[in-house]
Amino acid sequence: MPTYSVAFFIILGINFVLPRMMPGDPLMAIYGEEALVAMTPELKAFLLRSFALDKPLWQQFLAYLYQIAHGNLGFSYYYNAPTLEVIFGRLPWSMLLVGCALILSTTLGVFLGIASGWRRGQGLDRSMLSAFMALSGFPGFFIGIILLLLFGVSLKLFPLSGALTPYSGLSGLPLLLDVIMHLALPVSALTLGSLAANYLLTRNTMVTVLKEPYVFSARAKGLTERTICHRHAGRNALLPVVTRTGIWLGRIITGTLFIEVVFSYPGLGWLMYQALLSRDYVVLQGILILVALLVLLANFCIDLLYVRIDPRIQNAH
Amino acid sequence: MHISLRGEFCKNRFGQVGLVILTGITVLALLAPVIAPADPHRQTRRSFEPPSALYILGTNHVGQDNWSRLVHGARTSLLVGFLVACAATLMSVLLGVSCALKGGLYDSILMRFVDALIIIPAIIILLLIFAYLKPNIYLIAMSIALFSWAGGARILRAQTLSLKERAHIWAARSFGGNNWYVMRRHIVPDLSPIIAVEFIHAFRRGVFVEAGLAFLGIGDVTTVSWGVIMRNAAEYSYMNAWSWWLLPAGLALSITIISFTFIAHTLEPIMEPRLREEASA
Repeated sequence: MPTYSVAFFIILGINFVLPRMMPGDPLMAIYGEEALVAMTPELKAFLLRSFALDKPLWQQFLAYLYQIAHGNLGFSYYYNAPTLEVIFGRLPWSMLLVGCALILSTTLGVFLGIASGWRRGQGLDRSMLSAFMALSGFPGFFIGIILLLLFGVSLKLFPLSGALTPYSGLSGLPLLLDVIMHLALPVSALTLGSLAANYLLTRNTMVTVLKEPYVFSARAKGLTERTICHRHAGRNALLPVVTRTGIWLGRIITGTLFIEVVFSYPGLGWLMYQALLSRDYVVLQGILILVALLVLLANFCIDLLYVRIDPRIQNAH
Repeated sequence: MHISLRGEFCKNRFGQVGLVILTGITVLALLAPVIAPADPHRQTRRSFEPPSALYILGTNHVGQDNWSRLVHGARTSLLVGFLVACAATLMSVLLGVSCALKGGLYDSILMRFVDALIIIPAIIILLLIFAYLKPNIYLIAMSIALFSWAGGARILRAQTLSLKERAHIWAARSFGGNNWYVMRRHIVPDLSPIIAVEFIHAFRRGVFVEAGLAFLGIGDVTTVSWGVIMRNAAEYSYMNAWSWWLLPAGLALSITIISFTFIAHTLEPIMEPRLREEASA
């Protein structure tokens, strides 16, 4: 728990300090010149007051914490709406993308990792190991571009961008199909980008687990190879994968950022990219805080879950 | 620790492939001004030229020679990677080892900080930082390093904790060696294989993140970098120029990262001797 509070305060600190380090009027530093021109005097006065920007720094920090605790992440001039609203509008698309990719890459990676570790040193294991190590070198966005060029541009099998066909008026099953068609390439790219890490970890753990005495005694009991592979060794090879899921969630979210840019997929990554281009700083800050909060929350849940999966942890202290 | 780095490479095919690729790319980067036929910045009126004898990989949207840019791009990638690796490794060693030697409040506070840094999604923070500061490649490298040392520090701390109880460290202490002396003369040399692995990991990460940030348009867009090349080329993906414009840069980046992965895999048994049996297979 202290780890997560420290992590969150580092992010809050960066968010707070960075704009205020910039020279000039704090309101201008936080929002940028373009935003100030677009703002009404009332809005300026409101922001100045709610974030205490005319007060000493420590009061600004307290006001900042107070506003964030109340869900006020500032006002996006580009979308002319509260930042939180803008972000929540995009969040479901990213969740869909990240969720599908996380499930796919974890199940596939674990499955292949167990199969490969079981046959350690044999032909299949060694070719899979080389293939996945090579795959892990390809950045997600490059995989995305290749998939886009191959299946979208050349073969014209999948749509090139977006999450829905605009103005199609679809509903029901055709709508679902449309969403899936748009989702297919980004999810594949994201899965391929994160699959190798899952595979390599599971495989390496499997190799070490197979040397444990309990595998030997399972064999001595006369259990079938399949039972040993899946019930005894495979289950224990899962443990580090579960611990790492939290860290991987962070990586997959980062990966999504790039993939969404490649496919113009309307999630948080695309929003962040547009905010970067239009210098909509508050949106960048808001996304950072929200993503950090989600990642930390997920890590916390996994910590709780882990004690239940592996009782040894509880007895260790 | 009695580990010979050369011995690990002699036994492992992956490591050899990785070293060959990395050496090749380093030579390419060092000799870039000799190998590249044209100035990578010079724009000509002949844009979107297909590959020919004059332009081996054709030209881009502003008529720059793709091959020259590719070769010079290796310099940026390796320079940033190298700087990240140096800075991040230095920080991991200093902070990780000092935590283990000093212990107490210093250790617990710093380790909380390390745990926090490990779970924070670094690229998103880097994007925010670079949205405010207009970065050059040195600032980019240092910022990446700032978010890359934590994992290494945790590993080095754990190793130092076990190492500092050994007899030769006690002996050095009984002669009056202080923390700094013990770290310099005993711990760092003893841990050098692990430090080497951390260096490779940080190098790989530096190359990877630099390309990713450049792809998103962070930093100086006139820098000749693989990420910038891919960014420019991706905007013209509807043309068939991508096969000699985008693909070479993407593949160059990928095989560079793969070579680091192979080298790191070769050195992995140092960190986890239980993997050794099959690694030598």
